[in-house]
Amino acid sequence: MDKNNLNDWVDERLARLDEPAFQPNTDRALRRLNDRRGKRFSFGPAWLVGAAAAAMACACLLIFPTSRDVVQRLFTSASDSKLVYVGQVYADLKAMKDKQPETNFTLKDAQGQPVTLADLKGKVVLLNFWATWCEGCKTEIPWLVEFEQKYRDKGLAVVGVSEDADGWKSVKPYLKQAGLNYPVLLDTDGSIAKRYAIFGMPVTYIIDRDGKVSAASVGIVNKKECEAEILRLLGN
Amino acid sequence: MSSRSEIAEVIALADTPFDFEATFRAQYPRIARVIARVVRDPARSEELAVEVFLKLWRSPRAQGDKTHGWLYRVAVRKALDELRRQTRRARYEGLFGFAKPSPNPEQAHAANEDQHRVRVVLACIEKRQAELLLLRANDLSYDEVAASLQLNPASVGTLLSRAQQAFRKEYVKRYGQE
Repeated sequence: MDKNNLNDWVDERLARLDEPAFQPNTDRALRRLNDRRGKRFSFGPAWLVGAAAAAMACACLLIFPTSRDVVQRLFTSASDSKLVYVGQVYADLKAMKDKQPETNFTLKDAQGQPVTLADLKGKVVLLNFWATWCEGCKTEIPWLVEFEQKYRDKGLAVVGVSEDADGWKSVKPYLKQAGLNYPVLLDTDGSIAKRYAIFGMPVTYIIDRDGKVSAASVGIVNKKECEAEILRLLGN
Repeated sequence: MSSRSEIAEVIALADTPFDFEATFRAQYPRIARVIARVVRDPARSEELAVEVFLKLWRSPRAQGDKTHGWLYRVAVRKALDELRRQTRRARYEGLFGFAKPSPNPEQAHAANEDQHRVRVVLACIEKRQAELLLLRANDLSYDEVAASLQLNPASVGTLLSRAQQAFRKEYVKRYGQE
């Protein structure tokens, strides 16, 4: 069967699906829609699954006190958006693994070039975990762009790690739109986020010239404190 | 290249706040019909159409100049999901021999009618291909189909042709040449 005949053949069959007698009732549907819009919660299968997941999460937190401490710390720090120093989040990481956590990684940037964190040794690194759907991340990104511009020559390297699950499809248009001047890497499978104990975003780590984490911030960074920490590590 | 008036129109459209109710009134009957073509039950079609708009209401990013294509895409997907669910249920009911009332003559006729055959074939071929065929059958242009399914407009023709071949192959396999 040639292309035109095939087209007609399929169209003719799909046209059989027409239901000329069907008259949708818009007013009734609008009332139904407004009822549904008004309901914030509905007790259905999704609610039961959610409740079961929440119960399991609570049970895990009770069983594993170390992870409970980390979560508690992260949420406490997120609420006041202050820099959390090594003695807190990082110490929890240490307690969990009982050794210096492996912080080095290699990920690809938007041009497909691999970037290794260890190669930035000798520089102060501001490592920012973010995602395009995270509004808090979008708030602080212009500040990071500003830090990069101001302190690049003094030895600061800003590195963004995107946690967008759909990869460059969402990230690349945003990079263009926001005019990011620093490398952004993609951690689609979340393995690096796991290693850095990322439970929510944004999370920012400041790494000193020796490659050791000096400070971490959960939630939107406090711009003044973050800048002061960068300057301290840069030796100004 | 866009003329000045076209550009002004686009800017004005972008600045205009999204009127959800006006969109609902303008698009609901068409969206309900799109679903009714796939899902035989009109009442269920209307329920699904309401769910489509509920999803639009919860998705601010879909509200704007691309709403039209978005609505068609979601409607077709919801309809196909429902069709597949119905087909699966019918298959399991047959498999496990659940008690079913014997069909009356009208139902027996409906089961053999042409619409039923087309729906069965749509439920069997790849979902993406079924979506493509249904969007095209709802008189969406190649560009609109491409925008709805996030495809390259240049490849819509090829993909549509493949979908038509798959549809015909499955149809002939099940019901023979007509």
